[in-house]
Amino acid sequence: MSNHESKGTALLPSLSRRSLLTGITVAGAAAMMPRRLRAQEQITIRWWSPQSSPAQLAAYKTQISNFEALHENVKVVFEKTSDEGYAPQLAAAFASGEVPNIVTHLPSFAVSDYWRNGLLEPFNDVIEMVGPDKYYPGANDIYEIDKGQYAGTGIGNSAANMLWLRTDLMEKAGIDKAPETWDELLSAAQKMQGGGIYGAPLPYGANSMTSLVFIGVIHQGGGQVFSPELEVAIDSPETRDALEFYKAMREFCPPGATNYSWGESLTAFVSGATATGLYTGRVLANVNEQNPGIADSITCVTYPTKSADIPAWTFNDFPSVFIPKAASDMEATKQFAAFLFDPEGYIQQLHAAPGHVLPVLKTIAQDPAYLDNEIIKKYSAEVDLMSAAAAGGFNLGWESTAHQPNVKAGEIVNSGVIAEMVQRVVLNDENVDAVLGETASRIEEIMNA
Amino acid sequence: MPNRPNQTTLERQYARLGILLIAPTVVVFSAVIVYPLLAAIYLSLFSIYTPTLQGEFVGIDNYVKLLSGKLFWQSLGVTLTWTVGTLTLQVIFGVAMALLLNRSFWFRSLARSLVLFPYFLSTVVAVLVWRWLFNDLYGALNHILMRVGVIDMPLDWLGSMPNAMIGIILVGAWKYFPFVVIAVLARLQTIPEHLYEAAKIDGAGPIARFFDVTLPQLRSVLTVIILLRAIWDFKEFDLIYLLTGGGPVTSTQTLALLVYKEAFSLNQMGQAAAYAVAMMLVMLVFMVVYIRRTGTKET
Repeated sequence: MSNHESKGTALLPSLSRRSLLTGITVAGAAAMMPRRLRAQEQITIRWWSPQSSPAQLAAYKTQISNFEALHENVKVVFEKTSDEGYAPQLAAAFASGEVPNIVTHLPSFAVSDYWRNGLLEPFNDVIEMVGPDKYYPGANDIYEIDKGQYAGTGIGNSAANMLWLRTDLMEKAGIDKAPETWDELLSAAQKMQGGGIYGAPLPYGANSMTSLVFIGVIHQGGGQVFSPELEVAIDSPETRDALEFYKAMREFCPPGATNYSWGESLTAFVSGATATGLYTGRVLANVNEQNPGIADSITCVTYPTKSADIPAWTFNDFPSVFIPKAASDMEATKQFAAFLFDPEGYIQQLHAAPGHVLPVLKTIAQDPAYLDNEIIKKYSAEVDLMSAAAAGGFNLGWESTAHQPNVKAGEIVNSGVIAEMVQRVVLNDENVDAVLGETASRIEEIMNA
Repeated sequence: MPNRPNQTTLERQYARLGILLIAPTVVVFSAVIVYPLLAAIYLSLFSIYTPTLQGEFVGIDNYVKLLSGKLFWQSLGVTLTWTVGTLTLQVIFGVAMALLLNRSFWFRSLARSLVLFPYFLSTVVAVLVWRWLFNDLYGALNHILMRVGVIDMPLDWLGSMPNAMIGIILVGAWKYFPFVVIAVLARLQTIPEHLYEAAKIDGAGPIARFFDVTLPQLRSVLTVIILLRAIWDFKEFDLIYLLTGGGPVTSTQTLALLVYKEAFSLNQMGQAAAYAVAMMLVMLVFMVVYIRRTGTKET
């Protein structure tokens, strides 16, 4: 031992004990730094999202550039997916092991499904990096599927089934107030339809929008798909009423609504082809850009219910951020996930479609830079209403505050069983009781699979 | 490989060289044909969750479900309807166009090039164009039909039956008929002119010449075209998926779409593999006929 010491001393004659201790401390600190960020090896982070309008892509570009400027050895590659296509794409990615590093804007129920199958990295570190105090209270509850473990976090909120109205057409039709009940909506649609304009662009296609919107209609009729204990409860008088209402609305929708998904439904209202619309706040930016002639004649309310005593039920898909467990370069990925909430890029992302994705951080919602936006200022009442509706919103993964999280919600939506039920009753005119019974059985099968 | 007793050294060397030369083909064939085939059969015996590829052995349960449920049979019916419908139109349009392009007229070379355009166009692009044409609110098709007074209100081309099936059959025929044109036109150019001259002398008109001279000469090429296109149309996925997604309900859900939905929407890879194996068995019938026809011709 003494020999070793003497040799060391001989090799480093000018190194004092203090310098040596300082060196060890620095080396230790360096060792504790994220290894791959420190090392100059090239890192590529793949980022998937179904939200990819030109303005959103520009915002992502800013976020990516800012992050790459801070981390010279990191390259972030954005890859588009879609609302209808993410499930098969991710299934294939998970199966092959070729997963993206980070996925944003998928509904919360998709996240819980992947989490329950052990496919996701716990998100607690990222939430800590963002700052838990910055979130609205309870904003991350929907992601806490296992106690103390977060499967992801929200990148925003959305009020996806707002009823959009053309006030000029309402006035022309002698309608003095926004519809609050189904009967009022049917009456308003009938009065406003004509002259090449249809009443509503409700979706009747074999796709997820039809499923997601109709789940909302069931709740707006006072029903539910599952009981709070997650027993299948779709076969109910309330669902029958919902189907009857949805069928009655068909004559006020364009012929091609039988194939409508989010894009077609949005375009129908924005282009002026329908007097009402059903969408998030993306309507605001699209109308102002694509059809400014009606920009001063649009407003929104929560979607009507069967009767005034049934509260509104807003579909919030709780757009998420999550990281697959098999993702490479985990440390850099987590840092990038947290960086998405950096005010400069996050605000630009929210401004890309004002009112479409609403902030989950209260610090951002109060930030003057966020509020300094023409559309948010012009439609402040609508944005406030959507924010309040989204804050009290639900989806199939969490139907009410009394419900347990439903980790099979994603599979039920992707199976198309609810959209198929709508099509069979509305388009094929099949027996409602038989269709409902079969639908309930198929949902049971998925739950038990 | 055992050597024959009377084989010379040179023959043995040639035999070894033969094995060596054929080995790459065998390896590639095994990797891209045999392995996926065996893997599909193996997977079909399990209940597997797609994202994790974890599951348990269930034996022939997936096949029992397939045979006893109505989904497979319904999708098989849809697949056969689509295949027969689109193939018939492809052959009719293709032969008619080839006959036209075989005649002399101005810009024939340009016309021959342009007619191939749909076949070379990406399916995604073609479908986007057709979806736009079929659009209920802004589509040119509804607009023209309404302008000429054929219809009063826009038609729902892709969201209701039977329009959706007619729509995909028409688009499929438009997309793939150039293949028939190419093959038939090549054959038409080799039919000896004296056969037509002899028919004319015998008093045969244009229709009689087509049925008595042209069609018999085209029979062999048409058999091969029909079999090949039947196989390709039977497994068509992207065109139908992008046009209708299988809807309304499951009215245009072919077997290929059913396999995809089971594997990636319901995450049941084992059941999807069972559907795929069953689909392959149906296609095997087409294959056997094709091999027999081509084998007979070679003989």
